[in-house]
Amino acid sequence: MEEIGKRRLAAALVVVALLAYFLVCAFPLEKELVLVPAWSTSISAASAAQAGGASAKQKGGSTAEASGEVIPFRLGDRYGYFSPDGSILFSAVTDYGVALAPDAYATYDRLSEGFSIKSPYGVELARVAATGYPFFAAGRRFVIGPDQMTISELSESGAAKWSYQLASIATAFDASPPLAVFGLLDGSIVGLDASGKAVLDFAPGGSRIAGVYGVAVSPDGLLVAAVTGADKQRLVVLEKRSAAYRVAYHRYLSSDYRRPVYIAFTGDGRRLAYESPSGIAVYDKTSKSETIVSVPATSRLGQTMRGGQLMVFLSGSGDVKRLICTALPDRRVLDVPVKASLSFVEARNDSLFLGADDSLVRMDFEER
Amino acid sequence: MSAFSASLRRRSALSLLMALLCGLSFAAVWPLSPPLLAANFGSFAKGRVVVGIALAGEDGSVRASEDGEVAFSAEEGTLPSGLPSALGSFLIIEQRSDMAAVYSHLAPGTLSTLVRKPKAGDAIASPGKSGWIEGPGVVYQVYDRRASSWVNPYLLLPPLTDEAPPAIRSMALTRGAKSYAIGAAASVPQGTYGISVDIADPSDAPWSAGTLAPYIVRFSIDGVEVSQEVFDVARAKDGKLTLFAKNPMAADDLRTAEGRYELGERLFTRGRTVIEVRVEDASGNKRSASWTVLVE
Repeated sequence: MEEIGKRRLAAALVVVALLAYFLVCAFPLEKELVLVPAWSTSISAASAAQAGGASAKQKGGSTAEASGEVIPFRLGDRYGYFSPDGSILFSAVTDYGVALAPDAYATYDRLSEGFSIKSPYGVELARVAATGYPFFAAGRRFVIGPDQMTISELSESGAAKWSYQLASIATAFDASPPLAVFGLLDGSIVGLDASGKAVLDFAPGGSRIAGVYGVAVSPDGLLVAAVTGADKQRLVVLEKRSAAYRVAYHRYLSSDYRRPVYIAFTGDGRRLAYESPSGIAVYDKTSKSETIVSVPATSRLGQTMRGGQLMVFLSGSGDVKRLICTALPDRRVLDVPVKASLSFVEARNDSLFLGADDSLVRMDFEER
Repeated sequence: MSAFSASLRRRSALSLLMALLCGLSFAAVWPLSPPLLAANFGSFAKGRVVVGIALAGEDGSVRASEDGEVAFSAEEGTLPSGLPSALGSFLIIEQRSDMAAVYSHLAPGTLSTLVRKPKAGDAIASPGKSGWIEGPGVVYQVYDRRASSWVNPYLLLPPLTDEAPPAIRSMALTRGAKSYAIGAAASVPQGTYGISVDIADPSDAPWSAGTLAPYIVRFSIDGVEVSQEVFDVARAKDGKLTLFAKNPMAADDLRTAEGRYELGERLFTRGRTVIEVRVEDASGNKRSASWTVLVE
């Protein structure tokens, strides 16, 4: 009888302990992130409507102009601007090339000896008489000469602020407001400040064949990263300490690319994403560690959302690509196919803008 | 500048010697055959000095000039981060002696990237018109990594069978805004003058980026050689391009706004002065001209 009482007491204690565990140690399930479609629009239909007289938007009639937020896009030869609410400001087809930025664009011919810089609303901002091709980055406007070695930066009026002759051919480029960085055939990395002064001239060396296959600069200009050399290829991260850039991190890579390599810092400058044979490698400057997202890289690496928590990119080539979002450092939260030969993805806050051939789509992240 | 000049001279001389030795011991081939020069080292096109050679032609293949290894290839369009490729589709092939050969403006989609180590004469692409180039062909440049200089490809390639000497068309003396075109004889007031000469080497190419440059320009006054400019190397330093291993000159100072070669400034005192200019092209064809100036 006493034995039975003890057993009942033990069972009751176990039940109480379990109840206590569930009540005290329980924590809510993590909310799930879902992509909710907001709108979808056809670029050609919008262009046709524009040609039919609805071009008031380019003359300043859109709500986007009032808010000032427009997003440039390029799909093959077609380029233009759209607003986050889904209206297409304009789209056009370029004969040869176009330099695109959120605040301006310029089309140019193959034998360009001058071009106009226009606002997204079609207003001519400047007329530039320069031989070469324009390219815009980080709010700065540049021209590269026919020799791929002469760089000029343009002022707001289109006049050349400065001109700089690089020592050899530019094979890689990235810019931030304080620093424009060029990777050269001779294996050196040259950084030019806003006045055209070379504040960085560094040749990593250490490889049998010198060269720079990709460069990236953090938005504040304090970090510069590059994939350099061949046999063996290296990742080099430079950090500005006091007045000079010094090597903060480097390692030999397993890659042996002999073509341009995708590499970019995230918007907060904390992480660096670059192309590697095993996928997209992500370097964290805080921990000085690397993780791999095992999918092939494409252009526009380094885009993040939700305060830098999510990294977004399109992966693959051909007619089917994959839209991938990873929760940093390496947890994949979204992986969907995108059937399009031409595509781009643009991340803004909690919204994703996807271009796929003739369509523009907006999708918003929501927690549920 | 003098330390830099001396250093550049030493390094360039050494590199050129090595390149010449290599050129003698290994057979280099012209990247495009027949080699029709549309622009050459030192020629002036659209406000810039060319530091390579442009070969016109749209048939056949672009061939590796020497044995080498593909170091970089890029197709026409934009490189990552939005940098346009003014060279269109281009290949960089690492050659011996730390020389990198650049073949640019190739036909898109024809770059041979499967063969990592092409031999001299191997087809590496088709001639094209990609990027900023006036006509179809290929632009060939050689970069000397040791001397950090562009080398005149003439020094590495087989000699051209060109028999037409360069032409010396006119000479001018300039003081301030005033310019005196000098014929066989002329008289000018005493003073310091900038001396410039109009030199042109005819091109047989179906298109050209500008007048071809000579290889050597010698300038004498009253029988004494004042300068000798050899179009052998070019080097960018501190954002500026300089030419010539011996007595480097800023590329911007090489020519007048009208395209005449600047030979320098001289003080002309009263009397008779004889100015002589001798030019030579890469095939060894020579031409000379002299002018007698009466200084009042």
